[in-house]
Amino acid sequence: MAETPSPSSRVSYDFVTRAIARTLGNPGKGYFALLAAAVALLGVGIVCLLFLLRYGLGLAGYSHPVYWAVYITCFVFWVGIAHSGTLISAILFLFRSGWRTAVYRTAEAMTVFAVMTAGLFPLIHIGRQWYFYWLIPYPNERGLWPNFKSPLIWDEFAIGTYFTVSTVFLIMGLIPDIAAVRDVATGWRKKLYAITALGWRGTNEQWRHYSRGYLYLAALATPLVLSVHSVVSWDFAMAIVPGWHATLFAPYFVAGAIYSGVAMVITLLVPIRKLFHLEDLITPAHFENLAKLCLLTGLIVSYSYCTENFTAWFSGNPHERAAFWYRAFGPFWWASWTMNICNGLLPWLLWSKKVRTSILGLFVISIFVNVGMWFERYVIIVVSLAGEPFERFANATYNPTWADWGIMAGSFGWFFMWFLLFVKNFPAVSISEVKEVLPAPKRAKAMR
Amino acid sequence: MERRRFLKVLGATGGAAAAASACDIRPEPTQHLIPYLVPPENQVPGIATYYATTCRECAAGCGLHAKVREGRVIKLEGNPESPINQGRLCSRGQAALQGLYNPDRVTDPMARGPNGQWQKLSWEDAIGRVQAKLREARGKGIAFVTGLESGSFGELIDGWMKEIGGRHVTCEPFAFEALREGNRLAFGTAAIPSYDFANARYVVSFGADFMETWLSPVAYQNGFSRAHGFDAGRAASMAKFVYVGPRLALTGMSADEWIAAAPGTEGMLALAMAHVIVTRRLAPVPTDVARVRAALDANAPERVAAAIGIGADVIVRLAREFAASQGGLAVAGGIAAQYANGAEIVAAVNILNYVAGQVGKTIRFGPNHALEAAGSFQQLTELVADMSAGKVALLFVHGANPAHSLPAAFSEALGHVAYRVSFASCLDETAAASDLVLPDLHPLEQWNDARPRAGVYALQQPVMQPVFPGTRHAGDVLLQVAGKTGTFKEHLQTSWRGVHQRYGRSRAFDDFWNEALQHGGVYADAPAQAVHLTLDVARAAAPEKPALGWKPSPDEPALVVFPSIALHDGRGANKQWLQELPDPVSKITWHAWVEVHPDTAAKWRVASGDIVLLKSSFGAVRAPVWITAGVRPDVIAVPTGQGHKAYGRYAKDRSFNAFELLSGAPTPYGGRAHVVSVAVATTGDHRSLATTEGDAREQGRGVIEVLSLERARALTRGTHPFEERETPRYADQALRGWAEAQREKASLGNYAGNQPRWGMAIDLAKCTGCSACVTACYAENNLATVGEELVAHRRQMSWMRIERYFTGGEAGRPVGAVVTPMLCQQCGNAPCEPVCPVYAAYHTADGLNGQVYNRCVGTRYCANNCPYKVRYFNWYNYAEPGGEWESWPDPLNMLLNPDVTVREKGVMEKCTFCVQRIRGAQNRARLEDRTVQDGEITPACAQACPSEAIVFGDLHDKASRVAALAQDPRGYHVLEGLNTQPGITYLARVVDAVVAEA
Repeated sequence: MAETPSPSSRVSYDFVTRAIARTLGNPGKGYFALLAAAVALLGVGIVCLLFLLRYGLGLAGYSHPVYWAVYITCFVFWVGIAHSGTLISAILFLFRSGWRTAVYRTAEAMTVFAVMTAGLFPLIHIGRQWYFYWLIPYPNERGLWPNFKSPLIWDEFAIGTYFTVSTVFLIMGLIPDIAAVRDVATGWRKKLYAITALGWRGTNEQWRHYSRGYLYLAALATPLVLSVHSVVSWDFAMAIVPGWHATLFAPYFVAGAIYSGVAMVITLLVPIRKLFHLEDLITPAHFENLAKLCLLTGLIVSYSYCTENFTAWFSGNPHERAAFWYRAFGPFWWASWTMNICNGLLPWLLWSKKVRTSILGLFVISIFVNVGMWFERYVIIVVSLAGEPFERFANATYNPTWADWGIMAGSFGWFFMWFLLFVKNFPAVSISEVKEVLPAPKRAKAMR
Repeated sequence: MERRRFLKVLGATGGAAAAASACDIRPEPTQHLIPYLVPPENQVPGIATYYATTCRECAAGCGLHAKVREGRVIKLEGNPESPINQGRLCSRGQAALQGLYNPDRVTDPMARGPNGQWQKLSWEDAIGRVQAKLREARGKGIAFVTGLESGSFGELIDGWMKEIGGRHVTCEPFAFEALREGNRLAFGTAAIPSYDFANARYVVSFGADFMETWLSPVAYQNGFSRAHGFDAGRAASMAKFVYVGPRLALTGMSADEWIAAAPGTEGMLALAMAHVIVTRRLAPVPTDVARVRAALDANAPERVAAAIGIGADVIVRLAREFAASQGGLAVAGGIAAQYANGAEIVAAVNILNYVAGQVGKTIRFGPNHALEAAGSFQQLTELVADMSAGKVALLFVHGANPAHSLPAAFSEALGHVAYRVSFASCLDETAAASDLVLPDLHPLEQWNDARPRAGVYALQQPVMQPVFPGTRHAGDVLLQVAGKTGTFKEHLQTSWRGVHQRYGRSRAFDDFWNEALQHGGVYADAPAQAVHLTLDVARAAAPEKPALGWKPSPDEPALVVFPSIALHDGRGANKQWLQELPDPVSKITWHAWVEVHPDTAAKWRVASGDIVLLKSSFGAVRAPVWITAGVRPDVIAVPTGQGHKAYGRYAKDRSFNAFELLSGAPTPYGGRAHVVSVAVATTGDHRSLATTEGDAREQGRGVIEVLSLERARALTRGTHPFEERETPRYADQALRGWAEAQREKASLGNYAGNQPRWGMAIDLAKCTGCSACVTACYAENNLATVGEELVAHRRQMSWMRIERYFTGGEAGRPVGAVVTPMLCQQCGNAPCEPVCPVYAAYHTADGLNGQVYNRCVGTRYCANNCPYKVRYFNWYNYAEPGGEWESWPDPLNMLLNPDVTVREKGVMEKCTFCVQRIRGAQNRARLEDRTVQDGEITPACAQACPSEAIVFGDLHDKASRVAALAQDPRGYHVLEGLNTQPGITYLARVVDAVVAEA
């Protein structure tokens, strides 16, 4: 990431404000079609959830040893997605990587919505959803507290903290931009932005406080990038299930999370850039940097796969060996190999600069990485359980049902609904920060 | 209602409230709560009363203790005083409760109306109709078909039939005709002797499934486990067991050696062994052996070995071992007694016992089994012929379902009978084809008696008020129909005056009667009778009669129909406990299957679950294939019990009826051949087997340990060959210190004081896999049954899982099987506990892994983290009245144990070592100001176990049985390397010779 990509040369301060404010204009038919599709998917999920609440979790495909399946897979998948946002907005901010300015808002919004999606799954997947609040430590007349030894409780804190901090960070970054669009907006939007801009006037005083605050928040958010998915990984690593019980899990999961998160950012940015005509602000150079990040984390993930298998073999532990043999050659071989190919092999294409700068190529690869990372979680969760290396007699297979797919589809609907609403109502690219990396304004003459 | 409720949710405006109502958060409002204003005498709410009675689920006549709470019987346990079952009880016996509370019971007398519809009648009307029909039918033929009635009820019918010129025929699909005929051929008596398994030192079973349905399975299994169990300190321990038969039945799974003799050659093997014993003078030769000398010579090992399919040296070895043990016991039955030459096989086995000098020792005539009085298939076919010929005008059926178990000719003949009266409790096939149904009381609601074997007089008393007040004791009804005075109870007492004369003359009859009721009957010994070979035994023993009419091969296999362990002849098919009980061998629930050898399956190109069409000359059925190495390649096997066309919601239209494949012609010995030739055709259809088996092989995971007899004997006290340590020995002190510190710091509960540590020892040398413990657990702990579809998804709730793994088979190693009960190990260092976010899984002060159902939110983390996979989740609400997955439709809910919570959907559940029994005993001890004694607490599984393989107690009490067993050198913990510190110690299975060290 040596060279700092910057918006193309015809971009000026005024251009930025206009280009981004234009994205907030009256939505067209296409936008409404997308939004309707998202809401419809969400509707499917809600109907499935109502059935689940009424009849029980039996409607999903669980079997005797496979007690966690698609819902927890989706939970980890969405938490993973949520990772790149803070990485790009906070860590790269601290590293003063200028290129982040064009992409970080999208990533950050994606983070918040992904956490909102992820957080639903633990509630959906428990047997008695209506008692979910028993997991929350609150003083009660029964004197009952949750078990702080349980990784699920750690999870709750990790996700809760992450959601709070990333939301605050997103809102904070939005303030100057909202003020900018407030000044050009009309009608009800003007009123909305007037309120949400929190009285921002862009004074020196405000800017000084703002940039300090932003810096501190970035510093606060940075450790969360590492901690959240480490904690999520401990849901598995703390258990004794072969295939879960590995010290490798925290870094392995964090790398995987960033990997999938960056892939998702690419997946989202490509259409946004196209639909909102932001080609001048988000350039192939930005994508190339994202691709490099992808390549790096993808290699860490591949290394982790190798390490896992090596450890299983080297340990000589029959249960571990059986678990990994089952993973690769058991009835779920197709899932494992989807994971290996999508996450392990495909990123090698990114060594080529041609691929890295091809928007379409990156888009396709990012989709494969998303699929691969979903399958990674599926393999870790479902296949490790189904393999049942301890009690062979309790071994069973697993087949997801409509209730699994329906709620998973609903989660995508939920996520995209929020995301679509966001990009149409708030600046999807940071106005103020993009301006920061522009050269100072010049007279029109000098432009020639 | 449900749909409307659901639509309301969909259109919810006040979302939360509607969602709340849809999830059944709030309990249904209580309608009526009526306290006992005047409580019944002798009844303390919360305290169980036990009544002694007799099990009538099969002809064995085991003694029962019926546990009654608040006027309802909730559990059946073996009566420890009964000499038959010694306080043990099989699955079928346990499940009698589900017959009592069966939702498909007939509640009132019913008659077929003119349009064929059933109409309810009053009892007066019904009895009037029978009397009228009786007058009409006099002289035109009257028949009364019952199950085996060895007591006063049978006598009543006998007497009455004699009086009115009718006949009484017993219908037992497994009536052991060959056994009786074989005994008559060999010894001149058709009696069924008593088999002393407990004192046998070498057991050879020629097909006899004596742990399943053969005569008195609980008694025999109990005796067998005493003989076959391993005890290093007992010289006579570990009697070798050899099983001979074409398929590895449950009984065979306990064998040290399985000899898969060609079907029908079992008799040859017995005679060949006898030949070796006689010619080599391995035992004192009886004087009359000359009578069979020719037959023995014709069956010299080298002559018959090829036909049997084993080496002559094996026969010689078996004979030597048998004779040298000086306590050999050879039994014939099951499939071996169901060929066309079944009687000859039995006679041959008799000769083997005789020449080995065991008749009068391990086999004693005198205390004979009640089944000697059972009718025969021959008699039934004669009855069918008479019915078809119109010679039967009035037919009574009680306690039998011939329309299911007899050839189709019976159902046709039934149409020629002018009037048919059934006393059935459920509308089974026979009752459904009747004109009048007079619902009898369930055996648990009625007075009766049984004489399971000579000298044993077992009493049956009502243990509660009838569940359906509209049902009536068939005995009372018959007395009324016959125009006699008095009730059946009075009739019973009259007939017991004879018993009183013989065994209780010193006391008044009332005292004698009450005492007999308390003890469940009168138990006396019958004098032994000496028997000798008959004059024409040689003719009987000559193997000239072929067993089968053809030579079986994979192309034309011999189909063997064997009795289902759980469903028996089909009488258990309407009980969910029995339907959901995994078959101990195949582990399949809720439907039948056909057992096919892997080689044969490969030849036919079928996989497990593929449906094949089995076609014999008498009928055809469609059966899903279950591939197993436990059957000969030229034999396929199907169980009985399924394929009901009526009988009730759980039995109807389920799988196939194997009886349909069998010939309707009786065999020379008057029985029914259960082996036929079939043509097999693949259909291309498939059904997923509702099996609980995840893998047929243990894969060396250390779940089951097996020792050879030699090695087991060599183990000395204090050695622990299976010990596997995760932590090095030097760390022990530190760990102990840490544990001590934990105890001191504990603020909740008394972890420090003198708490017990509940533990269990399970002796795999005794466990046979019979699964009685499984049903006991269902009964005690309110386990839900979930049905075929959910079992196919592995959602069965059975806290007790009998794992059955096959061994051998590769590289010519003999095929065998090992079994182990797998239940919560109550780990000292339990992986399930720390992961629960709400402390629903927690550690009790006395070392149990508690589970607070009310606190559980259902994250299922505990189940993932349990390496033994013994936690079970409520995927649906199995207790919802009228719900799709309802497990206890009214009145089955009456059998729920009030001491145990019925779990809600979304909750994890598991074995608790029957914590309600532990707390009950502790409370009792506290009231009596004493400590709990060893043996005072018995979990339901241990209590039922016919092999007495499970011992429960306090590991901290060094004098307890379980503490001693936990130190046994054969002891091991499953997955000890995980450092879970289980509370259950398994004692390795011990296998004699060839199959060892699986």
